[in-house]
Formats: sequence, C-alpha cells, structure tokens
Amino acid sequence: MSSLAIDVRDVKKTYGSGATAVPALRGVDFRVSTGEFVMLSGPSGSGKTTLLSILGCVLTASSGHVSLLGEDISRAKEKDLPRLRRSYIGFVFQTHNLIASLTAQENIGLLLTMRGFSHRSAATEATRLLHEVGLSDKVETKPGDLSGGQRQRVAIARAIAGSPPIILADEPTAALDAENGAKVTELLRTLAKEQGHTVVVVTHDNRIFHIADRIVHIEDGLIQENQS
Amino acid sequence: MISPSSHPVNRTAGLLTRFRTMASVGLRMMFHSKLKLMGTLLGVVFAVVLSNQQLGTFLGLIYKNMMFIRNSNTDVWIIPKSTEVVGPGKLSISAHYQALTTPGVEDAQPVLIGGANVLLPTGGSQQVTLVGTQFPKYVGGPWNIVAGSREALSLPDTLIFEDSERELLGGLNLGSVREVNGRRMTVGGFTWGLIPFGPSYAFADYEVARELLKTPRDEVALVLVKLKPGANAAAVKMELATRVPDAKVFDRRDFEASILKFIFTKTAIGITFGTSTLFGLIVGFVIVSLSMFSSVVDNIREFGTLKAVGVTNWDLTMLLFVQSVAYGLLGSLVGLALVSQMAKGIRSAKLALNLPPWLTLATVLTMILMCVFASSLALMRLRKVEPAMVFR
Repeated sequence: MSSLAIDVRDVKKTYGSGATAVPALRGVDFRVSTGEFVMLSGPSGSGKTTLLSILGCVLTASSGHVSLLGEDISRAKEKDLPRLRRSYIGFVFQTHNLIASLTAQENIGLLLTMRGFSHRSAATEATRLLHEVGLSDKVETKPGDLSGGQRQRVAIARAIAGSPPIILADEPTAALDAENGAKVTELLRTLAKEQGHTVVVVTHDNRIFHIADRIVHIEDGLIQENQS
Repeated sequence: MISPSSHPVNRTAGLLTRFRTMASVGLRMMFHSKLKLMGTLLGVVFAVVLSNQQLGTFLGLIYKNMMFIRNSNTDVWIIPKSTEVVGPGKLSISAHYQALTTPGVEDAQPVLIGGANVLLPTGGSQQVTLVGTQFPKYVGGPWNIVAGSREALSLPDTLIFEDSERELLGGLNLGSVREVNGRRMTVGGFTWGLIPFGPSYAFADYEVARELLKTPRDEVALVLVKLKPGANAAAVKMELATRVPDAKVFDRRDFEASILKFIFTKTAIGITFGTSTLFGLIVGFVIVSLSMFSSVVDNIREFGTLKAVGVTNWDLTMLLFVQSVAYGLLGSLVGLALVSQMAKGIRSAKLALNLPPWLTLATVLTMILMCVFASSLALMRLRKVEPAMVFR
C-alpha cells in the first residue's frame, strides 16, 4: 500500500470572528496517497480552494491536523511556511501567474534557484523542463508572447521544477480551450503516474474527471463524496 | 514523458543565492514597466537637479567669499576683529611690524582693500573692490591673469581689472585710461572670474592703492603672513595673537570656517539654499515613494505568486532594496549629467555652479538613501501581501 502524502483530519477553517465569522471548512477528513491523482470538485464557496490553500501552506487551519509526507504542518509557525512551500509544493494556478518581466526559462529558473540549484544548473534544468512540456522554442519568450496553453505549460514546468513531491493545481484548465485543457490535464496525470508526484486538482471541468484516480466532492465545507 | 529533476527539493538556497535571484528579478521587474521606471527616475532626477543646482550655486557663492584666501599663497591671516569676510577693514600697521618680528615668520605683507569708483566715458561710474599689494612679491595680488601681467602693477598708476567686467567698465582694453577715485589710471592687465560677493576685484600697487583709497599710512586692511618652512603654525599663531590682541589671527582653515559660520549664522543664504535643497529632496522622495508603491500595487499578483512559491519577506525586502539602489544610481547618473550640462551652460565669471567631486559622491549616496527610505511604503504593502491571494 502506498504511503500517505497528504493526511488531513477534522480540519476546520473559519474566516473572521464573532457575528461575522464564516465557516469555510467544517471538519474535513482527506487523505491522498503518494502518486495519486485526485480531483477536488464542488460548487463555488464550497471550501475546495480553502482546502487547497491549507494543503499548499499558504493558509493555516483554525483547528485540526494536517500533515504532508509525515511532517505535521498544523502547528507550523508563520515563518516556517515559505520553507514548507518550497520543500513540498508545486503550484499550478488558474491564471498562469508567471512573472511578466521574466522569460519562460527565467520563470522556472527562479523557482529552481530558490530550491537550491545554482544559477547555471537552474538555467539548464529550466530549459530541459521546457523541452519536456513541448516548449523548447520558447525558452527566451516572455509570458506576454505565449498563448494561454503555452503559459499554462510553462506554469506546470515551474510547478515541477526541482521535483516537489506534491503538485496542487487550482482550476488549471479554466482559462483554456478543450484541446489545451486536455493537454494540460494529461501532463498533470503523467506527473502522478510516471513520476510519482502526488497531484491534487481543484476543478469544475467535468470533461477531465475521467482521468482522475479519485474525485472528491466537497460542499458546504464538508467532504460529501469520494468516487474512485 | 516528463522525467523528474535530477535534484529533488531537499534544500533551500543560501542567502547569497537568494539575494542574487531577488536582485535579478527586481531589476527585470523594474525595467519591464517603462512608464513606472521613467516616473520613479523622474523623482530622483528632479531631486538631483534641484539639490545640486542649489548646492552648486551655494558652494559657488561660498567660493566667491573664499577665493582670495585660497589664492593668496599665505599661511596666516591677521585681520581686524570686526571683519567677518575678506573685505575693507582697519588694522594698525603695527600688526605688520609685529608679524615681521615674530619667530617662525618668514615674511609678512600688508594688504589694502576698499571700494573705488571707476568713472565711465559715457558718464556715471562703476564700483570695484580695490586690492593693494606690495611690490615686488604682490602677495594677495592678482591671479587668473588672462591679459597683461602682474608685474604691470609696478608701472606708474596702473591697475589690473576683471576681464568679464570690461564692457561694464566702458569697454576696457589693455592701455585704456580710466579715472579711478579722481585719478587717471591705466589698464595693465585683466583677470578672469575674480568677482567676490560685492564688486569685482581690481588690483593696484600698495602705494597706489593707499593713495586711491586715501588710507592713512598707519592703517592696513589685513596682513598676510608666510611661515618659515618647518615652523610650528599653532605656536606662531598663538604668539601673533598675543602680540596683536586687537586682531583675529587665522590660518586658512580657521578663516574659511569663520566665513562659513558667518554665512550660516548671520545671513539668510544658508537657510535659503538649504530650504530649496530640502524641498528638492522631499519632492523627489514623495515621487519615488509613490511610484514604487504603485509599482508594487500593479504587480501585487506577481508578488503574491512569489510568496506562494516560497519567497520570504526577507527576499522581497532585498528585491526592493536592489530596486531602490538601482533607482538611486540611475537617477543620480541622469541627474548629474543634466546638472553638469546646466553648469556648463550657465558658467560665467559672475555665477558658476561649484560641483566638487565630494558633492557628486554625496549626491549618489543621498539619492540611494532617499530611494531606500522611499521604498518603505512599498515594503509595508509588500509584507502584507497574502500568498493565498493567488487562489482568488
């Protein structure tokens, strides 16, 4: 049996306090094995992005237990969160969120240097990753000169730069047409199936549900359904 | 198939690598938004131009007050107690004799200074500051001579005038004759740029000046003292002060400091120029501050992304720091180039921007500091950026 990459137990998250408090997660239990490709679906405001934010160490839970690859992050201090993000997480955002002033190679290289690569090896590795996602000819191209699909592929290359064990993707196909959406999803599945990355994708896009190992439905801050 | 990185995430970059990375990203961001770059640089350039124009003019005026001291090749000055700057004054001739007999003194020369009227051929008159110095050394005599020679002062009734005032003095040429304080004098030479705060300097032989200024034989304006090589300047100064108690005894540094003190405390010049300089710096600070803040706001999503992928507040502080230093350096470069062209354009004998190397260096450092402080507002905003914003 695969080991647990993500272990979430009875996690609650409330925004605000007192009369204006809004519960976003109301006791979520969620486990993902290493190398699993999981999709998280649910209506707007259901709490899926909040859960993804907690898993991505950009938000802390109000209560409950969260561990990534056995490291308890529930009690991590604010100052430790950037290190946890660098160590464990690769992000793919709904909008690519690339740095407009940097080339495709530099966007990836930036992450690699922050993850301990030398500048030279970061450049080499970034070029290799761009080749892997089919963008060998876009190494020196800035995001503004790339198509939506190409930007998202650069974003995926950035997410896997340095091989973080967990890839979190927030609506990665939302801004793409069907063809590019399929390519991006296939790329994410490849990461899980062929490289052993644990991939969690938040999506509304039912066209891509069929390629997930598991679909987790969340509603009103609670996990409603677990479909394999 | 995508193959994994050969270097899985298990460590974090060192401080130097992170600094280099942030510096590179900061500079790329800075040059990416050309309009913001121009706006921020405009603030720095404005501060550089205004502060240097004001300080340069101020230093130029200071130099006018000190040029006599700096060009008289003298070690010690004996001046009347009431005298604040180089100018007319009354000192007993005994100060000259006392200086000559003081141990450690090689030579002492009396100098006369006073206002004189030059009668113009077209009627009317112009004032000059007449300086009388003694033959044959003419210590305290003319410098920057552009026509004629200092030795011309030994000719009967001869004066050396300021070249840039030739037209003002009725079209003077070598050999021209003018009535000065009622006596016909011949032009024996011209100097350039010797215009103090008041009317321009004109030079005469000591005796000629004494007669023109109607100064009694027992009076001088100041005494210039040259020390023997190896003499203890402090001891000689002390001895002179004892011997001439009704005078001030200064070396060059004392005299210049005294003039500076006078200008700062007894005139409004310091405040006037200081206020304008401060105004330039404040306006520059505000422009840079707002530009950098607005730049952060414009790129807030990019900064949020950087935070989300593990960049720390320290890293972003470094990013802004590098940008600030770059803005300060670039703005200084452009501003100083403009000021230098401006100085060339307005340079004249009457007004010259004095831009010494230390002012250039101080400008660059001040601008960097200004930009670093101006980035505080942007930094405060940056530190508040929530990485979770990237999911919204």
